[in-house]
Amino acid sequence: MPKSFIYLLLFFNIFFATAQKQDKLFEESYDLLHSMIENDNNYNFKKAIFSVENAYLDGRLDTTFVNSQIDLLQELSNAIINSKILNYEERDKDIVNKRASIFSIMCDTIPIKINDTIYQYHPFGYDFNDVFGHKTRENLFVSKLLETKTGNCHSLPYLYKILCEEIGIDAHLALAPNHVYIKHRSIKDGWYNTELTNKIFPIDAWIMASGFVHIDAITNGVYMRALNNKESIALVLVDLADNYNIKFPDNDGTFVLKCTESAIRCYPNFATALILRAETHYKQIEKIEDKNNYHIALKELEKEYAHIHQLGYRNMPEDMYLNWLVSLKEERSKYENKKMNTFNKN
Amino acid sequence: MRKIILLLLLPILAFSQVNLPSVPGTNQFQQYGMPSFENKAKVLVPNTTNTLFGGAEQQKSNQQLIQEVEKRAIEDQKIKQEIHQDIATINASFNYSLPSFSFLPATHYYYEAFERLIQIDTANFSIKNTNFLVENAFYENQQDKEAFDKNIKNSGEFLIAKMKELGYDLNSNSAKNYMLFQFFSETLQLNSNGLKHLPFKYDFEDFQGINDWSKMFVTKLLATKTGQCHSMPLLYLILAEEINAEAYLALSPNHSYIRFPDDNGKWHNIELTNGMFSTTSSILNSGYIKSEALSNKIFMQNLSKKELLSQFYVDLAMGYIRKFGYDEFCAKVIEKALALYPNSINANMVKSNIDTHRFEYVMFKLKINPRDKNQLQNIRYYPKAIELLKEVNQQYDTIDYLGYEHMPEDAYMQWLQSMHDEKNKQDSEKLAKQFKGTLIKPLKN
Repeated sequence: MPKSFIYLLLFFNIFFATAQKQDKLFEESYDLLHSMIENDNNYNFKKAIFSVENAYLDGRLDTTFVNSQIDLLQELSNAIINSKILNYEERDKDIVNKRASIFSIMCDTIPIKINDTIYQYHPFGYDFNDVFGHKTRENLFVSKLLETKTGNCHSLPYLYKILCEEIGIDAHLALAPNHVYIKHRSIKDGWYNTELTNKIFPIDAWIMASGFVHIDAITNGVYMRALNNKESIALVLVDLADNYNIKFPDNDGTFVLKCTESAIRCYPNFATALILRAETHYKQIEKIEDKNNYHIALKELEKEYAHIHQLGYRNMPEDMYLNWLVSLKEERSKYENKKMNTFNKN
Repeated sequence: MRKIILLLLLPILAFSQVNLPSVPGTNQFQQYGMPSFENKAKVLVPNTTNTLFGGAEQQKSNQQLIQEVEKRAIEDQKIKQEIHQDIATINASFNYSLPSFSFLPATHYYYEAFERLIQIDTANFSIKNTNFLVENAFYENQQDKEAFDKNIKNSGEFLIAKMKELGYDLNSNSAKNYMLFQFFSETLQLNSNGLKHLPFKYDFEDFQGINDWSKMFVTKLLATKTGQCHSMPLLYLILAEEINAEAYLALSPNHSYIRFPDDNGKWHNIELTNGMFSTTSSILNSGYIKSEALSNKIFMQNLSKKELLSQFYVDLAMGYIRKFGYDEFCAKVIEKALALYPNSINANMVKSNIDTHRFEYVMFKLKINPRDKNQLQNIRYYPKAIELLKEVNQQYDTIDYLGYEHMPEDAYMQWLQSMHDEKNKQDSEKLAKQFKGTLIKPLKN
């Protein structure tokens, strides 16, 4: 009996050896993200994002390319800051000016003069194909955005945040159902939203009226709250876990739970992490053979889902999401923040 | 020593429906560096080499010069001392608070009302009596409490009688609230005695009570059958209290409405100004509710009894301000309102107005124009004035932090109208229908 057990163990060891190698990059990425949560000095959103993407790409992320692209954009941003005069005169005008430059990079066609020749800089566009990354996770990646210049509500705000931090300012991510956008605060306008997929500054009513945001979800900070840097890392942790699930569909859930637990610790009302944790628990429960234990575990799971509901989370079907996103374009005048004429040209 | 003085320039406007006072404009902070004011008088130092080579004459004139300079320096010093003394005496004797209106006899009705409000049990009080107390202070206690009570009592009896006629369950909160909703929005007649009640109408004229504050009052609503979003929900609450129904006041920008739970614990919004059930999204569509306002719970939440009482303090202060003006009495009332409900947006708005008026008054007394940068620097001699300025700025920060955003009057009117549009009407009818369905069920047999 013990002998066969050892053989079995050995067999599994060999079997998992290959998986473990791939696994290693995910573990490393987790350790990096975890260290960012533990110690503020380690925080670096760019590093966090690319470590996650690199893990999924089995270490094949072209770091030289993405870094050079980001450096290039940073230079462009500096050029814009120096050339543009903003109609804004408050104490925080330097910061607002920097934000405007990043917004331009994301959204505007910019003529650039190099040695008397005018080149056109083309902004990042929205990619309506595979918005949720069902076909391939890479569609959600910032590296894909940098390469193809098209992205979605996942990669666009992430890149925006990376660029902001590269030029030394903050950017807060904020959540809506199936959606990520940017929140800033300025002296003149208070908190305002930046929506990169439609390139406008929408008012909060746009998100509230989507029909899938329960007031409790706003009150509890599930949605629409300006997230701090640690909470943003929580988002990245869930990306890591999602990627892991795609890469290793038959995993036992240990790694995913580790990621979600970590994410929930720094952002307790983070609905996506709570749901992923509950789903992973369910996967584990299904394997329980003892009927009694199975039912006990199922009861526990019900509590988890009840908690998520109580926080105000409601599932938004994916096709509804696209309709809602498009509504911003169609009802632009209704949802546009009219105070933001500072750099809202179109 | 350098101090930074912040100043907010603000337009003093007064509008809004739920007696929101002036709205702080966009915060305009300005920095003023404070130059050191100890400018030392320059004293000429006599050149000693001259005494070696110069004759007696020269020495004498030098001596004179030195004396003269010293004399002047002493005089300068004296003048400076006098200035400092003057400032010190101003600082000591100067009154940094708003002058009281207590010389006006009519204010005493307000002081009395305030004393009585303080006695009230915060967890359990009569909305009817408290509201009457506040309104009556404005009318200088000329209102007839008995007639008012009788009016409410009759209405309550009317409601119960009608419920019986319609076969509504008298113990159902859904039924009671639906009856109240009908009372406000439909023509009702009792079959037994032919008594008829017409719906209340929205009064578009001066709905903010700018020309006539009594437009906000329940007494006015009862007398004229027209009211607005302040008086209508209050009357609803008074009648709900009368027939023992559970209902709450809730706030939205420039607005207040009713929320109540049905028998299944589901919450409904009633918009009395147009007699409709409103959906959450139609309220959010006003466009002036920020997520921060919701997470700080300043809008769209049931007001507890304590928070409602705070609202009555605000009403009292607002009536006083409209009738007399700003003084330290309203500051005292608002302090009480904030103690009961620290995040109250209405109380915080009134406080910011009082603080601003106080600061402007003090500036006026000190002959400083706060809108003039150079003049404003003189505020540095008056530490107490600096404190007042800080208080003003802090109050604006508080309001900003609460997530408040000013809703202009035309935007408000537009939103009220939009509540009337086809989609909202359909939503309302659907909700009302669902409701009616549940009312019939609890019927015995």
